[in-house]
Amino acid sequence: MKIIVNIDVMMAKRKISAGDLAERVGITPANLSILKNGKAKAIRFSTLMALCHELNCQPGDILEFQDDAFGTAGSL
Amino acid sequence: MEWTNDRSIGLSIVFVYVFAVLLLAADIAAPFLLSWSNRLIPSDPSHGTFALITLYSASVFAWICLVLLRMLLRNLRASEVFTAENIRLLRGISWCCAAVALVFLISMLYFIPYFVVAAAAAFMMLIVRIVKNIFQQAADMKSDLDLTI
Repeated sequence: MKIIVNIDVMMAKRKISAGDLAERVGITPANLSILKNGKAKAIRFSTLMALCHELNCQPGDILEFQDDAFGTAGSL
Repeated sequence: MEWTNDRSIGLSIVFVYVFAVLLLAADIAAPFLLSWSNRLIPSDPSHGTFALITLYSASVFAWICLVLLRMLLRNLRASEVFTAENIRLLRGISWCCAAVALVFLISMLYFIPYFVVAAAAAFMMLIVRIVKNIFQQAADMKSDLDLTI
């Protein structure tokens, strides 16, 4: 049971690089990497809002709840 | 002159060195002080040997404690505060205090007033242990904060 972060999927769909996204959202590339790799313990509403704004998507497109033990991307 | 955090840590480091010098002096002077006190207050000669064993046993832990304190202050100066290493160092200091308390508690078998030193060391252990618990909680909170994006 975990939250999957699908930022990389949305980034691929929008054809945006990690460096560009980090700069536009206002977080460091290291923090974006933590988020992508599922090592983050929490995400601020302000960060989520900026991500949704830059990726032109809904929070549900980035975050996904998974009930089983296996995920395809990083977990939050 | 403005009193800064760095200066405060510097003063603590100076105190650590002062205590190290005092401890070294105590280690060197212990046999002479004991023979002098035996001349002032005559007692069982075996007590002098026991007292030396007590003092040197406690001294070993005091040296370890001073080294750990110096390492802790080095980390604080480097702005590494709530880290696993500092928690380990505080735990070490706490156990050193416990060891000193135990040494003096055993030494009460031949000299009852050592109870005061044993109680002081045990109380110090308790304080350091609680500080360690606080550091542990703070380190967990820092980890949460660091991983909040």
